[in-house]
Amino acid sequence: MNKPMDNVAEVQISGRRLAGLVRLIAEHRVAAVIIFLMVFPFLAPYKALAIDVLIYGLFALGFNMVFGYLGVLSFGHAAFFGAGAYATGIAMVHFGVPWMPAIFVGVLMSGLTAAIMGAMAIRTRGIYFAMVTLALAQCVYYIIYHMEEYSGGEDGLTGVSVRTVDFGIATVDMMQDPMGKYYIMLAFTAVAIFLFSRILNSPFGAVLEAIRENENRARACGYNVLLTKWVTFVLSGLFCGLAGALSAIHLSVVPIEYLHYHQSGLAVMMALLGGMGTFFGPFIGAMAFLMLEDAITLMTTHWQLFLGAIFMIFVLFFPRGIWGSFLHWISR
Amino acid sequence: MRHDKGKTRRTTVSRRDVLKSAAAGAVVLGTSPFSFNIARAAGDPIKIGFPVPLTGPYGSEAKEQARCAQMAVDEFNAAGGMNGRMAELLVRDDKLKSGEAAKRAQELIENDGVHFVSGSLSASVQLAVNTICKDRGIPYVSISQSDAINEEKHFSKYTFHEAMNPHMTAGAVGRYVFPRENKRVAFLIADYAYGHEMARGFKRAGEEFGIEVVAEVKHPLATKDYSTFLPRIQAAKPDVLCLCNFGYDQMNSLKQATNFGMKERMRMVAPALLYNQRRAGGADAYSGVVGGTNFYWGIEDTVPTAKAFNDAYRKLNDGSPPSDYGAYGYAGVGGLLKAVSAAGTTDADAVVAALENLKYDLYKGQQYYRQCDHQSVQPVYIIESKDAGDQADEYDVFNVVYEETADEKMLRTCGELGHG
Repeated sequence: MNKPMDNVAEVQISGRRLAGLVRLIAEHRVAAVIIFLMVFPFLAPYKALAIDVLIYGLFALGFNMVFGYLGVLSFGHAAFFGAGAYATGIAMVHFGVPWMPAIFVGVLMSGLTAAIMGAMAIRTRGIYFAMVTLALAQCVYYIIYHMEEYSGGEDGLTGVSVRTVDFGIATVDMMQDPMGKYYIMLAFTAVAIFLFSRILNSPFGAVLEAIRENENRARACGYNVLLTKWVTFVLSGLFCGLAGALSAIHLSVVPIEYLHYHQSGLAVMMALLGGMGTFFGPFIGAMAFLMLEDAITLMTTHWQLFLGAIFMIFVLFFPRGIWGSFLHWISR
Repeated sequence: MRHDKGKTRRTTVSRRDVLKSAAAGAVVLGTSPFSFNIARAAGDPIKIGFPVPLTGPYGSEAKEQARCAQMAVDEFNAAGGMNGRMAELLVRDDKLKSGEAAKRAQELIENDGVHFVSGSLSASVQLAVNTICKDRGIPYVSISQSDAINEEKHFSKYTFHEAMNPHMTAGAVGRYVFPRENKRVAFLIADYAYGHEMARGFKRAGEEFGIEVVAEVKHPLATKDYSTFLPRIQAAKPDVLCLCNFGYDQMNSLKQATNFGMKERMRMVAPALLYNQRRAGGADAYSGVVGGTNFYWGIEDTVPTAKAFNDAYRKLNDGSPPSDYGAYGYAGVGGLLKAVSAAGTTDADAVVAALENLKYDLYKGQQYYRQCDHQSVQPVYIIESKDAGDQADEYDVFNVVYEETADEKMLRTCGELGHG
């Protein structure tokens, strides 16, 4: 598999003017991403979509820890997104927990789900890993589907409404001020992106890539491969859980389709579209996917046809994805 | 090595580059909807958001709903609007997903500045749209069947339900069928909220007739093969079989039950007997099946507004009459616009008050919204599917056998729903 393209400094690029800028960005990737996301709502067609990009960007980013960095394909990440969303919603609706602690409950629950699923799935590889994670995620789907009293079952969970957020100095009306809501969501996302980057830059992150490149060699070097995989799976689950928790607050509802395997497929698609081997690629993938989908659905009801064609073009001709191809192009 | 090459290149930024990026920036800023609701002056159109599942299994129904809703808007505008202020319908695809619908509703409200929302075609999706609208004080008229939306938990003063609910549909059908048939009743239930709600409505109606439930078979949503479910029903030897499922499930289970020869031994009953599904499924599978509907074009002989609605629709659609679900789109938006005219403003609270006091007859007879839960009280029609030989033309598929007139007795009581 490809080496992550964003460690541009190591790749010794230079040349085009852009490259200098890219190196600067690569060295401060978290700051660059956050600055970009701060101006993003001004570029998006509407704020609810901008918030969706944040949420799905984070979801794809978290998924990519397992997919792009550890190098295994999970088809069960909907379970973490859904567990985060449902746990946050249920804590708020049924137990009256304030929204901030409820987000932590959501993240913890998705971490727990990932720990259990990971423990069962991590010994398998390749297609078997994908199938086991898919099956376990379907189990989570049915458990929550049948917890009708708490989850609302088929109807989904409604009433996860945060009306105002009070900071002492300022109050944000979450219902009437989508811009304020965006920046609150961004605060959570920014912290998550920072932590994510720190994890990947740590020695632990290096072990991840070592396992991806050659699992046997990593084992021979004395690393505990199984434990590393499991911890990565759980960490990835935590990030996806945060995305789910934020989404529950964003939409005020938790639909059962969050746990559907389509949701897992969405993460795979976004990561591939943006560039699975890159740090920021999944975010770009989520952005491209959601904005294209939004634009095309307004024009035609055959949006799936166009989106499918675009996806196929990328898989066939730009296997590095949008961001991966871009990085490759400027660092030639 | 390659990296030497770059050192000889120019690294300053040229004037042209600055101009280029400035131009690009200007385009981006110009196209992004920076100032979305600065201008909401009195001359602006009355905007109604209409999220429906244009793609997905209910796509054809959704498109029909959008067509009929547009008809209501066009009629309102042709009549001069509200003191010259025109209405505008903004149709969005909710893809039959609650998450997408919630996002679309937010888009309609924050970006397009809609004054009202109508639409949706699934129990879960309408609850999601309702949550978004009630939190933001936007009146929402739902046009899809659901029992839950009437309940206190989901209700707000901004929530209106134009469609019938499963309780009243199944109840009306039960009250028609049970006294006319023997008492052994079996249920085939699609295993989700709507299926359960219909079965509950049937059983409630059956209590006063002393029905005996001999079998209750649940099947997963979107089942293709009913050969494992039907023999269990046959073994119970019921006199009546209630099909508590919808759309393709209903069509497939009916076709297979017909093949099993079950129609000769029991009466088939479907609470929501759909016009489009009947036409797609064919006369053989459906013949003799009794069901309920909000509207069938054949009532035009007795109901003048139905005649007017049918004629207007036929003129636009090559002579084909409107369907039951399409009519919901017409009534939902039409009722809303009537209330806007009555209130003389788009102010949410004033329109809510006008809707609460509205008596309207748009397509099927008198209707009004019940005070406590804003459920539209309306007539329910009991129809029986015709044999192929009895059809005058391809649109002539049902006999209207009974009309249950609009009455709050059809509904669960306000207290039962949790309204104070």
